[in-house]
Amino acid sequence: MRIDASDVRKTYGDVTALDGLSLTVPSGSTFGIIGTNGAGKSTLFRLLVGHDRPDAGTVSVGGTDVTEDGRRIRERVGYLPEHVGFPDGLTGREVLGVHRAMRGLSKDGRTAEAIERVGLTADEADRRVSGYSNGMQRRLGLATVLLPDPDVLILDEPTAGLDPRGVDEFHAIVEEITSETDATVVFCSHVLGEVERLCDRAAVLHDGRVRAAGSVDELAAEAEAAADRDGDSATRSGRDRDGLRAAFREAVGDDAAHDARVGKGRADDATADREEVAP
Amino acid sequence: MSDSRGGSDDGTGEATRPDGGHPDATAAVDALDAVDGGPEVDAADSESAATAAAAETSTNDGVRGALRHVFVVAVTEYRLAVRSRWALALTALFVVFGGVMLTFSGSAVGPAGAERVVASLTSLAAYLVPLAALALGYDAIVGREEEGWLAVVFSLPVRRSEVVAGTYLGRLAVLAGATVLGFGFSGALIVREFGAGSLSAFLGFLGGTVGVGAAFLAVALLLSTVAREKTHALGAALLVWVWFVLVHDLLALGIVAATELPDAALSALVLSNPVSAFRVFVLSGLGTTAGGGFTAVLAGSGLSTVALAASLVAWTIVPVAVAARLVRRRRL
Repeated sequence: MRIDASDVRKTYGDVTALDGLSLTVPSGSTFGIIGTNGAGKSTLFRLLVGHDRPDAGTVSVGGTDVTEDGRRIRERVGYLPEHVGFPDGLTGREVLGVHRAMRGLSKDGRTAEAIERVGLTADEADRRVSGYSNGMQRRLGLATVLLPDPDVLILDEPTAGLDPRGVDEFHAIVEEITSETDATVVFCSHVLGEVERLCDRAAVLHDGRVRAAGSVDELAAEAEAAADRDGDSATRSGRDRDGLRAAFREAVGDDAAHDARVGKGRADDATADREEVAP
Repeated sequence: MSDSRGGSDDGTGEATRPDGGHPDATAAVDALDAVDGGPEVDAADSESAATAAAAETSTNDGVRGALRHVFVVAVTEYRLAVRSRWALALTALFVVFGGVMLTFSGSAVGPAGAERVVASLTSLAAYLVPLAALALGYDAIVGREEEGWLAVVFSLPVRRSEVVAGTYLGRLAVLAGATVLGFGFSGALIVREFGAGSLSAFLGFLGGTVGVGAAFLAVALLLSTVAREKTHALGAALLVWVWFVLVHDLLALGIVAATELPDAALSALVLSNPVSAFRVFVLSGLGTTAGGGFTAVLAGSGLSTVALAASLVAWTIVPVAVAARLVRRRRL
């Protein structure tokens, strides 16, 4: 399912969250949105699921304008907000039961399937959420959005707060989902390594606008060419000149790219941890 | 992967159903399935499953879908309140205080003993029930938001107003159940002591108590919807209790003592406070002014039982309706 945003503006009081943002997410792609804090990522997601309306411009998901009926959009979209939590008194399976009942889905084993898909055991699913680790809560959150077999998955910083091993395991789950389904997956992240690993396309948001967009390879190649053209190669490390990191630096400038430096470190930690725990 | 479904325990001693859900969840979900009227789908038949899913999705529209959303949220809220011991605590509170009140007022009873006891219970309930309702409801929305659950529920294809209505009804079921069970204990003792003739007076009291609890729960829900933080909602709830239960009555009594108010103004004073409306509602049925305070002055204010009951209903519906509208402003 294709997602289109055209010349979108959104302000909250004096703050301009989105300033003429235009973006196209092709159907079936895994699309990463990267940007610093306040770039407009979460605002964009709120518009995509009909929680808010743009002041100007249009946003459509699968050809349906989100301003017409946000609920209809959310029937086809699985949205995992950044800050999610579950009542301590419910078990993981009951949380999924609430989602199934709210969506009017029949009992056809999809709850057990979703639990298995995100790597929770049946024992864990029958435990109360109060005993869940942060990683298990994230997995449960992912299971809730997978339950209806959505056409679009929107994940708002899904690995925030996870330890390196949790990040790596979450990546593996998302990779499995993208390989097994034709769902369009959109997620935002501060972690460039995460986007490089999971996404075939990406966009760089800064100050409410798309500064660069395209396939991950294209973005990297363009950034490297720009660095060569500007003669930056002498002042940047080889790693900085490669991949999405260079594209991000090129799009938002050196100062704003600082957050991404931290993010890259976290991704590297995750990789190191994976190698350490691998048999 | 180990599979513990079919009777595993989550460590709380609560058995799970064969497919792993909680037994009370089973009843709720089964009821929902009955409402939907949808057929069970064979998981092996993915094509028909997809077709069924599409058909089911379409049922999200309309009144039936809205009712289902409200029902699911209400059942979830009820279940959570029961598990967090709220229902038990409130029931115990009403049993203990009702029992104590009954014991002490029993020594003073005369021929009209049952009515006098009910009047004493009314005085107790006027303080206790609003406080219990505000305590039960102040975190209904803002607490769920801080928990992260509200964002999860709002990500579903539901109207926010449906979530507010379901939250209210779930908690109201807890409060009403605790009120009926808790004060029902006192009622059983009254009937035993004074005979079945005292039942009507007690039932009037019980209805009024549920009504005033529903009104304050609705006010708490509204406070919870507009509050930015749980602590703000708690502070506002305490202020509301102080105003309606303590200050309003004293102020009204002072005004009545100092001035000659027409009946319409007296009625407005009663109807502007659900606690006063509750007191007059119950005590006017008893033919006594034993409740004291402002209510004693208002024995002849001319308000009918229907008008008083309608005011309690209005105090319930208006705050919930306003909350259902204002919840759209929350940025989630």
